[in-house]
Amino acid sequence: MAARWTADSDESDEGWSLSEEPASSSLSPLSSDDEWLDNMESGKMAPPKNAPRDALVMAQILKDMGITEYEPRVINQMLEFAFRYVTTILDDAKIYSSHAKKPNVDADDVRLAIQCRADQSFTSPPPRDFLLDIARQKNQTPLPLIKPYAGPRLPPDRYCLTAPNYRLKSLIKKGPNQGRLVPRLSVGAVSSKPTTPTIATPQTVSVPNKVATPMSVTSQRFTVQIPPSQSTPVKPVPATTAVQNVLINPSMIGPKNILITTNMVSSQNTANEANPLKRKHEEDDDNDIM
Amino acid sequence: MKGNETMLDFRTSKFVLRISRDSYQLLRRHLQEKQNNQIWNIVQEHLYIDIFDGMPRSKQQIDAMVGSLAGEAKREANKSKVFFGLLKEPEIEVPLDDEDEEGENEEGKPKKKKPKKDSIGSKSKKQDPNAPPQNRIPLPELKDSDKLDKIMNMKETTKRVRLGPDCLPSICFYTFLNAYQGLTAVDVTDDSSLIAGGFADSTVRVWSVTPKKLRSVKQASDLSLIDKESDDVLERIMDEKTASELKILYGHSGPVYGASFSPDRNYLLSSSEDGTVRLWSLQTFTCLVGYKGHNYPVWDTQFSPYGYYFVSGGHDRVARLWATDHYQPLRIFAGHLADVNCTRFHPNSNYVATGSADRTVRLWDVLNGNCVRIFTGHKGPIHSLTFSPNGRFLATGATDGRVLLWDIGHGLMVGELKGHTDTVCSLRFSRDGEILASGSMDNTVRLWDAIKAFEDLETDDFTTATGHINLPENSQELLLGTYMTKSTPVVHLHFTRRNLVLAAGAYSPQ
Repeated sequence: MAARWTADSDESDEGWSLSEEPASSSLSPLSSDDEWLDNMESGKMAPPKNAPRDALVMAQILKDMGITEYEPRVINQMLEFAFRYVTTILDDAKIYSSHAKKPNVDADDVRLAIQCRADQSFTSPPPRDFLLDIARQKNQTPLPLIKPYAGPRLPPDRYCLTAPNYRLKSLIKKGPNQGRLVPRLSVGAVSSKPTTPTIATPQTVSVPNKVATPMSVTSQRFTVQIPPSQSTPVKPVPATTAVQNVLINPSMIGPKNILITTNMVSSQNTANEANPLKRKHEEDDDNDIM
Repeated sequence: MKGNETMLDFRTSKFVLRISRDSYQLLRRHLQEKQNNQIWNIVQEHLYIDIFDGMPRSKQQIDAMVGSLAGEAKREANKSKVFFGLLKEPEIEVPLDDEDEEGENEEGKPKKKKPKKDSIGSKSKKQDPNAPPQNRIPLPELKDSDKLDKIMNMKETTKRVRLGPDCLPSICFYTFLNAYQGLTAVDVTDDSSLIAGGFADSTVRVWSVTPKKLRSVKQASDLSLIDKESDDVLERIMDEKTASELKILYGHSGPVYGASFSPDRNYLLSSSEDGTVRLWSLQTFTCLVGYKGHNYPVWDTQFSPYGYYFVSGGHDRVARLWATDHYQPLRIFAGHLADVNCTRFHPNSNYVATGSADRTVRLWDVLNGNCVRIFTGHKGPIHSLTFSPNGRFLATGATDGRVLLWDIGHGLMVGELKGHTDTVCSLRFSRDGEILASGSMDNTVRLWDAIKAFEDLETDDFTTATGHINLPENSQELLLGTYMTKSTPVVHLHFTRRNLVLAAGAYSPQ
């Protein structure tokens, strides 16, 4: 359900403290609880008199801000929020003051902490005229046509969460005569599968035809070294068009030793599940109108 | 106070007041003859007086329309043409029966006609003047699996129970136990086979309603081992070892406030307080895409009835239209003064209705993003919206406990259903539009007679010139039944294809 967020950073210095005081218990706690329960239905409640002092203070704050009807759990929620907010600010202030090499945390640190946090979390949505403006811009472009038979319609890979974000280490120990393995497959060339890759002597001439540019933390890109002995140039396009249904595909993945490089030739032997199903990132991703 | 957006909106925009010419002249004379022009200045500066000619409205009429934070809607706001008709169904060859769905020889086969077309009559067989052109907005083409679904749909439709005041639907209630007030969103697929629940612990849980368990596709290494030429390859790709009735989807970092299944049951959308809308695959039960655009909680999301498009609305007071293959929204519907609580597609997918905390309901055109209708009248934030199956009417529910009925073509309120005592948080029309079911936080489900509520409007003599509405006080006669639950607010309502009601809510003991 929707709830309004109000950012009220002044709330914390309303003259209330978190110090613990023994709660005064009334002589007949049972009756006050009953009456409290009776008030449950109406939504208006004052917490019972033997509630902790913080709860009473919070109830008073709510009353001062003009909120008269609320469920009883709202007080707990507000107390938790206040606690979390104050501890976050104080933690930040400690960090700032230790950064400035001060012996104690003082008011300036706290002020800076409050200001930084306010810019970060207590932002309000953009103003209406700004929204109307960007809406007008966005709404002018016509709706894009839908290509038929395009399989699962997802954004380009870099905007999806479908990339593997891990890399497997190989357990196979090769002999010393084989320092490095050169990959035979290009990432997308499904058509080259039938030709069993042979292990040739590693060549340092690399023809990286797909260079990973901005490497995001979560997804991996593969550059492939095509040894010169392979005559057929890598043609990614016809292969990838067959790779639309990610789930049902004559699987390309076998236990192959494929060297995964990131812009350099590495001497590790890593076996990896190459994902030839991955669509090229430069194929059609930036066709959207930004 | 400087940064408060609501305050800025109030200061910059004008409150709209609709008043008849005679009353306006009386008012002006009264204010100006006092020799104190202060009030008159304020009126001129901050109020937009929308004058209409004709009879002044009665207090009852005025009370019905007021309530919005920005006053009423200006008359020209509701004057543009809206294509509220339904799109023509494509022709499908049904293998067993020999009929086409589309219209050359429809008139001659009354007994095979689906019951729902009876009420509309033969108007929809020819080009309905109120229906949008087929290619007004691009829609995805019909795949073979979609055609099979449609055939199933038609078969189920023939077995559908015809509802009415003397034939009320049975209600099957799905209670979420041990949710500890954490159930924040529910959706049911169109064929009623899956239920998804969004929770405050940021998970989305999908249950199978039928005895058939949920299966995900096998891992890639196993897929390479199966025989691809076998007939049942689609069963073989499913992993039997991890089949279960419940699948939990992890990924959001905040409570999930909206959930929506795609019509082809391949995808599930969920919108959350973390500002993202996530697309989940129901074949692998993993997250495919996170759509970032709202930077504030997204309160609701819904797939289009034809798939591919979806709409989301959130705290940033706009609703956005997305397509699953674009990482940025296609349309931004800006205009509300407060959070957009509820977003729904029209059955023809050309319009989107949004209900907001500023107590108005707006209807937006998908083609160009314009706001084509503004409906005021609720006295509280709106939490539920639903279109009638014939596309002509809209029902809305708010925290004031009333359900209001709107005629989209004319842009007027045509009914008011009083009865609930707390927020109406779910609304649904039956499959043929005969019954409106409403679920509320007061733990009841109420059924209303929709045919009777709309019956005097079927004739076209309707006083749209003045825009005066005359609401009959007939809530009591329209109420067909009230069904109480045991302290379980009714969060979601769904009519199965055979007109059985499924309702969902979380038990919250007091």
